Amino acid sequence: MVSYILRRVLATIPVMAIVALLVFSLLYIAPGDPAAVIAGDQASPADVERIRQSLGLDRPFLVQFGAWLWNILHGDLGTSIFTNLPVASLIAQRIEPTLSLMALTLVLTILVAVPLGVVAAWKAGSFVDRAIMAFAVLAFSLPVFVIGYLLAYVFALELEWLPVQGYTPFAEGFWPWLQNLILPAVALGGVYIALIARITRASMLEVLQQDYIRTAHAKGLEQRSILFVHALKNAAVPIVTVIGIGVALLIGGAVVTESVFAIPGLGRLTVDAILRRDYPVIQGIVLMFSFLYTLVNLMVDVTYTLVDPRIRY
Amino acid sequence: MDRRTLLKGLAGAGSLAASGGLSMPALSQGAAARTLRFVPQADLANFDPIWGTQYVVRNAAAMVWDTLYGFDATLQPQRQMVEAEEVSADGLTWTFRLRPGLKFHDGEPVRSKDVVASLTRWSARDAMGLMLKAIQNELTAVDDRTFKWVLKQPYPKMLLALGKNSTPCAFIMPERIAQTDPFKQINEYVGSGPMKFARSEWVPGARSVFEKFTDYVPRQEKASWLAGGKQMLVDRVEWVVIPDPATAAGALQNGEIDWWENPLPDLVPVLRKNRNISVDIADPLGNVGSFRMNHLHPPFNDVRARRAVLTALSQEDYMRALVGDDTSLWKPLPGFFTPNTPLYTEEGGEILKGKRDFAAAKKLLAESGYTNQPVSCIVAQDQPITKAQGDVTADLLKRMGMNVDFVATDWGTVGSRRAQKSPAGQGGWEMFHTWHAGADCINPAVYIAIRANGDRAWFGWPTSPAVEKEVTAWFEAKNLDEEKAAVRRLNKAALEDVIFAPTGFFLSYTAWRKNVSGIAKGPLPFFWGVSKTA
Amino acid sequence: MPVPPGLVVAPQLPDLLRPAKVRHGVLGFLRNNPTVALGGALLICLVLVGIFAPYLGTVDPTALAPAKRTRAPSADFWFGTDLLGRDIYSRVLYGARVSLTVGLSVALLASLAGLAIGLISGFVRLADSIVMRFMDGLMSIPPILLAVALMALTRGSVGNVIMAITIAEIPRVTRLVRGVVLSLREQPYVDAAIASGTRTPMIILRHILPNTLAPMLVQATYVCASAMIVESILSFIGAGTPPTIPSWGNIMAEGRALWQIKPYIVFFPAAFLSVTVLAVNLVGDGLRDAFDPRMAKSL
Repeated sequence: MVSYILRRVLATIPVMAIVALLVFSLLYIAPGDPAAVIAGDQASPADVERIRQSLGLDRPFLVQFGAWLWNILHGDLGTSIFTNLPVASLIAQRIEPTLSLMALTLVLTILVAVPLGVVAAWKAGSFVDRAIMAFAVLAFSLPVFVIGYLLAYVFALELEWLPVQGYTPFAEGFWPWLQNLILPAVALGGVYIALIARITRASMLEVLQQDYIRTAHAKGLEQRSILFVHALKNAAVPIVTVIGIGVALLIGGAVVTESVFAIPGLGRLTVDAILRRDYPVIQGIVLMFSFLYTLVNLMVDVTYTLVDPRIRY
Repeated sequence: MDRRTLLKGLAGAGSLAASGGLSMPALSQGAAARTLRFVPQADLANFDPIWGTQYVVRNAAAMVWDTLYGFDATLQPQRQMVEAEEVSADGLTWTFRLRPGLKFHDGEPVRSKDVVASLTRWSARDAMGLMLKAIQNELTAVDDRTFKWVLKQPYPKMLLALGKNSTPCAFIMPERIAQTDPFKQINEYVGSGPMKFARSEWVPGARSVFEKFTDYVPRQEKASWLAGGKQMLVDRVEWVVIPDPATAAGALQNGEIDWWENPLPDLVPVLRKNRNISVDIADPLGNVGSFRMNHLHPPFNDVRARRAVLTALSQEDYMRALVGDDTSLWKPLPGFFTPNTPLYTEEGGEILKGKRDFAAAKKLLAESGYTNQPVSCIVAQDQPITKAQGDVTADLLKRMGMNVDFVATDWGTVGSRRAQKSPAGQGGWEMFHTWHAGADCINPAVYIAIRANGDRAWFGWPTSPAVEKEVTAWFEAKNLDEEKAAVRRLNKAALEDVIFAPTGFFLSYTAWRKNVSGIAKGPLPFFWGVSKTA
Repeated sequence: MPVPPGLVVAPQLPDLLRPAKVRHGVLGFLRNNPTVALGGALLICLVLVGIFAPYLGTVDPTALAPAKRTRAPSADFWFGTDLLGRDIYSRVLYGARVSLTVGLSVALLASLAGLAIGLISGFVRLADSIVMRFMDGLMSIPPILLAVALMALTRGSVGNVIMAITIAEIPRVTRLVRGVVLSLREQPYVDAAIASGTRTPMIILRHILPNTLAPMLVQATYVCASAMIVESILSFIGAGTPPTIPSWGNIMAEGRALWQIKPYIVFFPAAFLSVTVLAVNLVGDGLRDAFDPRMAKSL
């Protein structure tokens, strides 16, 4: 098992190298010169050229890529062109809000979606089942920002139960931290809940038809125990898979949610960086996202062994 | 007590219990009253006001750094850090003496050598500074509080250059910081202004924090824009970036922020209805909307094509698209200079007045030899002002019968593409949109966009000897009447040669909660004199 | 009929079970699967709306009239006007074209590309690890970023949006196809085909393709729905289709700042988008349940 994990971690390196090259190339050919944006409106072309040189942007592609790669291997993610701060510290500042949001969304989603899916499977074909599935499809059909605005309007502006925007670090207290994240997590989680509920229902449906479930009934086990202890464990593999795939969805949705609720996270940082052509920041973040994503995939695979003892590495 | 406070209170009690009574930085009522939360017009991504010339950088820099002179509300430069100045009889030697008691945030006194280094760095990037550099003999420190600038020719607009609020302003930094290459960013933010920059709390893109500098000695006079005594009445200013206007409106209504620099005009009625919020015009100098045509290549290298566009252009359409239905927010601008300023003139502006004449426009266009080639119009979608203008222009050109190639892109791309002098088919452009703060359109000295010296002019590279002649005349004018005459002729020439197309003059609002007082109108938000009750 | 003597005739039993109606053909299929019918009908309606937009009481969707901006719905402007005075009803109807084009194009292109890559990956072992690592890499770049970068590359256009979203969706389809290929390769009949010397293209055509079509079709509908939502999010950020081409995404993006006071600007395109995505999802769900309900575990 340990060797498996080690092998997988090693395997992420070529993946990230590919990602790095892809992103670097894309940015290199993209027009839009950060030097021009920095130089500002009053600058002459000579000024812009001087800035380009001081930023090292006039060197050939491979030299720039090589230099950046070399720095990465030494743990140096580079320096932001615009803010002159190290990319690593920019990411460090903004990672807590994004991770908090994603973690909370994940927890919320699993807590809501899995039971919903289980109930829908148990009462398959009934009104409850149809209602849950209808809700799931609906949640899947609305864009995140529409849901976000509605939630903000109802719960923050009208009822005043929660703040409209912002982020409070965890260090300042659990409840303030949670308060700021509830609405964004629900908005972001909507799509995810729908997805997981559907998969759970489908997987559970198949499992519930198995013989051992009938045996459990015959043994006289309580319905709840059958559903959640016996059936769910067996149905878990596809559910865990989808959770893993959904993390990529979350990252994309986080960008919008962070904009709507003014959360100072990585999503906004990336979009701002792209629009300003702050190359080191973009590269650093995408690299980090890909690492995160492969890590999540690894955790998903490890979870398989917990859930299904037949799976061994 | 409203429900939010009750819930918060319960939650506070709950989490206090949960965390075992560990200390939580709960702001007391008193502490909250000493922090001002402000939503700026844009994010403060970098903080070097000489290197980066965005307005938001200058606005923040005005708190942290001080200037030798500063504009007051009458647009006159007044002494700020300077106690007295003297010009020699031949106009070539300027001697300045600094006020006593000026200190930097690190405790060091402000010395002449700091000023000399700062002015050297500033003059490498600023238009007027470059003019001074060109005629400079020497800029030296005479003693710790005196310095002089010796020139080869007289420069009557010296104080204007040192006190103007158009970017880059002549901020004074410590010598070690000012010695940074003007094309590289500084990375230490120490100044002698009334606020210190809390570097450790800065999250670029999200939040910037400024704290009161207790050793600041304000002048005795009443504060007026960048002149007079800058008294800080709050201990802390937090700049909170909220990218979504609807969210910012909600936050202001909820009391999560205290002052919103630039509320969307459409949202202002909602804010006005709220009995806890005040709304007023932010800056009487407003903004001038514009789009520029490329004078180097067809079709706009022919003045008739440019005049055709002006003939068909409806400033009302542009302004309504920009600021909405509130007619007190905009004025037509049959010229280039800011209304309600001494040099404002409408001379030569008939082409922009009256009913729009599409027939005449089409005729002029045909005369210029336009043969339906595509006109590439680059429009930044992420700036609301350029986006709105771009949409109106696309419609205008279509109705004139022109073949529009609408390039929707972002401000970064516009920034680099507009610098290309090649024809549109090879990466160049024919039209792009922008706008200027009214404060930057008050006279030819600060007005980069009005210059028409071909290759060295601003993007679009207009060439008009008539305009340049009047710019020189203005610089050499000996009194206000001569200046006005020069500007009138300039305006007329600029409209005849269509240096660029002004789309109108528009104002913007600023909004704040009623428990905040002392907010003054001006070209930038002024934080001195602003106080807050709980 | 006269009964021969001595023969016992079974008693006539009442007909307890009604004979199952076997429904044939497309109509039969639709009656058996009401979700597909409903979804399909909605979708066809919307496609028709998009195609016949000029004839449904619309005006030029790009005609500005800043003097009449942000008017509420009325007899003149059925859905009201937007921030530049353009008629929202017309923009929404024309916007159907863009959103549907994006959705269907992405679904088609991603499926074709995913099919090709998945087949190669499934069959050629050497390529498999390389391709899968590449797909992993691609999947870890959030599609939003890809789209913004592509938009910055040239300009905002429908083509760029389609390309960006397609690239982001290809890994999903590839995984699916590869999974099918891998599992089918172990089947005895495929083994037999290989053993008897059938060339690979024939194997693909005869055995693999028919088995991938069903899940691919279902997956394609989900890709279509997802693409339409992603397009709206891209417009929200400002990296979507240019404003001269109305799409539901960019109508919503333009009106988002005012949704508290003039909600109709966001409401109508949002409603249309939701109904369309709903329809596509219903079709997908219905097809999936019709072909093989067990697919629901993985899609």
